[in-house]
Amino acid sequence: MIQLSQVSKRYPNGHEALKSVSLEIAQGEMVFVTGHSGAGKSTLFKLITRIERPTQGQVLVDGKNLGRLPERKIPALRREIGVIFQDHKLLMDRSVFDNVALPLIVLGMPRNEIAKRVRAALGKVGLHGKEKQLPITLSGGEQQRVGIARAVINRPSILLADEPTGNLDEDLSDEIMDIFADFNQVGVTVLIATHDLRQIERMGKRTLHLNEGALIEHG
Amino acid sequence: MGSYLTRHLQVLFATLGDMARTPMASINTILIIAVTLLLPALLFVSIQTAKSLSGQWQGQPQFTVFLQKDISDGAAQLIFDEIQLHPKIELAELLSPDDALAEFRILAGRGGGNLDSELAFIGENPLPASIVVMPKSGFANAQHLQALEQELSQFDGIDSVRLDLAWTDRFNAMLNAFSRISVLLSALLFLALVLIVGNTIKLLIYNRRDEIEITKLVGGTNGFIRRPFLYYGSLFGLFGSVVSLVFLLIAASLVAKPFDQLAAAYQSSGFVHQPTLMEIGSLVLIGITLGWLSARWAVAQHLRKIKPS
Ligand SMILES: Nc1ncnc2c1ncn2[C@@H]1O[C@H](COP(=O)(O)OP(=O)(O)O)[C@@H](O)[C@H]1O
Ligand SMILES: [Mg+2]
Repeated sequence: MIQLSQVSKRYPNGHEALKSVSLEIAQGEMVFVTGHSGAGKSTLFKLITRIERPTQGQVLVDGKNLGRLPERKIPALRREIGVIFQDHKLLMDRSVFDNVALPLIVLGMPRNEIAKRVRAALGKVGLHGKEKQLPITLSGGEQQRVGIARAVINRPSILLADEPTGNLDEDLSDEIMDIFADFNQVGVTVLIATHDLRQIERMGKRTLHLNEGALIEHG
Repeated sequence: MGSYLTRHLQVLFATLGDMARTPMASINTILIIAVTLLLPALLFVSIQTAKSLSGQWQGQPQFTVFLQKDISDGAAQLIFDEIQLHPKIELAELLSPDDALAEFRILAGRGGGNLDSELAFIGENPLPASIVVMPKSGFANAQHLQALEQELSQFDGIDSVRLDLAWTDRFNAMLNAFSRISVLLSALLFLALVLIVGNTIKLLIYNRRDEIEITKLVGGTNGFIRRPFLYYGSLFGLFGSVVSLVFLLIAASLVAKPFDQLAAAYQSSGFVHQPTLMEIGSLVLIGITLGWLSARWAVAQHLRKIKPS
């Protein structure tokens, strides 16, 4: 599903965030990515979503070579990937409903169909009845779950979560990880960047270690 | 197709809502568009008015037929009769040398004393008798007029014939030049307008930076992201041109009174050009197009630069 061959990423300031990384993640797999802060975890996710381009090597997602992907095909790629950010990246002046609905609105889906699916997605992450609220009125854990609902609403085949439990206590972290595991159960390829060794141990999945941009794989 | 229309309507109403939420900024932009469109509109109305004026003058061309200086009153009367009966001529008026002198005195105005002493020096009235001729309206075009001029100048006892078209030609040439300058000026104003409104749209784009980034992250196409801004531009243009029409009406009513007096003096009515429905529609269309172009330009420049990070 995701394949990197000898990928290096050097940012314009000269910093090399990834150094000749090769890896392969199969369809339906759930994989953790770990490493110190600045190890290159977020950079890896940005390459997979074509937010950044590699300076060397090639990135294949679902058979598509992202190096050759024309600009106009980027939206289609991103519709296949749900992304969850540590800082949530929610629109603070829009309701929970509007935030979660956004991936469907850009598809031009009819309003009533959107409403149905938003309610279902919010139900799945335990946010029943919060549609009309603004994200600011929600707790950090709830905001993270709004982000998850938005990431999964379009039933993507890949889910990327960048330090999704960074600011949450243990119980909330467990809940969120279990939600990811549920999606993985139904065939979604899940990739989670985290420092949280407790979760990695608890879930018992394959883990990729990044160190200064270089990959050291375990298990 | 139905859902395509609904989507557009949704964006349209969302944009109207956004405009209403920041009324001052929107009103400023709309006023800038209105004032900028007003000048070309006023120029257009002036030119149309001048054209219809010149048309009215050209409808009544006049000849002045100067008789030979030494001709007797009886011979002059004979020529006059002949001209009056001419099938191409509607009306003729005989001016004796004395009549001509009286008219000349009026035209020369107050300098009468001076004129009298000059006449005394010459010793006699230097002006010839003349006949003012108005052709029938069917023969009022340039070709017929020139033929008639030729014919009249062949007459015995006629010294010269003057067809008074030269100054209307000059007037028309000037009007033409003025029209071209107006077109150029309007084009420059339109360009300035696109730059100014484009800049407003640019600010709107950067105000929504987060939204644009997130929309790109969830797979929004450029077409989707750009749509509300194109609506913004077009609506600015629509409202701007409507306000500009209101300004035009006010301006017209301000100049209507002196123009009506002038029109009454010429036994004419409706001097000032009244914009037709077509022309009003064109102004609105120009407004919308310019607004849309502004947005298109701003979007092409800035949307690409906003990327998720
Ligand atoms: N846009 C950027 N420009 C320059 N350097 C960057 C940029 N993004 C990240 N970096 C650097 O690349 C390295 C890896 O960053 P990142 O992938 O965010 O690591 P992680 O997510 O593992 O903390 C860091 O040293 C960071 O400072
Ligand atoms: Mg990171």
